[in-house]
Amino acid sequence: MLLVVTYSRGARRDLRNVCRAHEGCVVRQFGRAALLEWTEFGAFQALRLQEKHGLDVQLERVVPFEPADAPEHVRKAASAYESRDQPSTPYERFASGRDFPDPAAMRGEKL
Amino acid sequence: MRLTVGGTTYEGRVVDLRARGVSGAAIAAAVRGERCLPALSAPGPTPVYDYCGRVSPEMGLRTRTALAAAARSRGIGTPHDGEIAALREKLASLDPDEPSLPPAHDPVAESAIAALREDAATARGRLAAREALGADTDDARRSVREATGALSERETERTAAAQSRERRRAVARSYRDRRAERRRVADRLANRRRDARAVLVDRLRGRFVAALDALPGSTPTDPFDASPVPAALSILRVARTDAPVVLEVDRFEHPAAAAAALDAPVIRC
Repeated sequence: MLLVVTYSRGARRDLRNVCRAHEGCVVRQFGRAALLEWTEFGAFQALRLQEKHGLDVQLERVVPFEPADAPEHVRKAASAYESRDQPSTPYERFASGRDFPDPAAMRGEKL
Repeated sequence: MRLTVGGTTYEGRVVDLRARGVSGAAIAAAVRGERCLPALSAPGPTPVYDYCGRVSPEMGLRTRTALAAAARSRGIGTPHDGEIAALREKLASLDPDEPSLPPAHDPVAESAIAALREDAATARGRLAAREALGADTDDARRSVREATGALSERETERTAAAQSRERRRAVARSYRDRRAERRRVADRLANRRRDARAVLVDRLRGRFVAALDALPGSTPTDPFDASPVPAALSILRVARTDAPVVLEVDRFEHPAAAAAALDAPVIRC
């Protein structure tokens, strides 16, 4: 999918107009951002906005993400942390001394 | 003040130009220093003149904003002034201009690199085979050179394309961060200005109401609902007004009475 994020009032207004006029290529619209379909037409609309508004329009390629795309130790840590007994325990303390990855290590590790 | 209109020079605190048919707009522009004719020598205007410097029947007025400017003209400050100054400085330091991005390169396809890598391996294999056979290796060596040359060229291109892409993203990102920061600072500045305006209006409210009551004519129940002309005259009354005020209304008996009531030099057009 294509993520379009706008950074000015004018760009935001035009994005809204594009989404209204071409609902077919819009996956989801948020306030000043929208997900467009990964098609030539989606790219055409995104590029049109960027032509007009320059760097006030940010374009990103977005791919679907599923749990299986993350390593098993990350998935296990997430699920274990969400079923912790003490809701106020920060993850760092929760993970220390147990078989869960510490946050710093995960930050340095690309998916 | 000293004012020269069409060869006649007027001096004093009150100048009556009603017989001369001069436009109030032109005189007000001369007071603001935007025009050098008619020639005027008088103290310069303060921001309150942006709202009330020219009082005419068709004027509009943002009463609270103008009253706040009147308070400023008297040197009244607010507890928000320090933060307002800091925020203005911050806003000025955040460059709003869009940077120019380094040029984009076409990405080099991974498949093109793989094909060249295979060509180079094949050429090297052929060379090794010919060396083992003791055959002539000149052509084979040239093939290896060409194939590895083409491969390294494409790899350099790919690296350049990737680096340019990274740089473009970094530049765009910092521009957008700056832009978001500007918006936050501008919002905070607008809020502090609103707070400061409320303080200033509060400080002068009593005097403003008294000035409005002293004007001939009816007084509205809410002083901030007063129509623009009486509101502007009352604001001028409470403001410090060293620069001439341009009047195009007949609220007073005579321009001299207006000057006395407003405690300001007056040019009646």
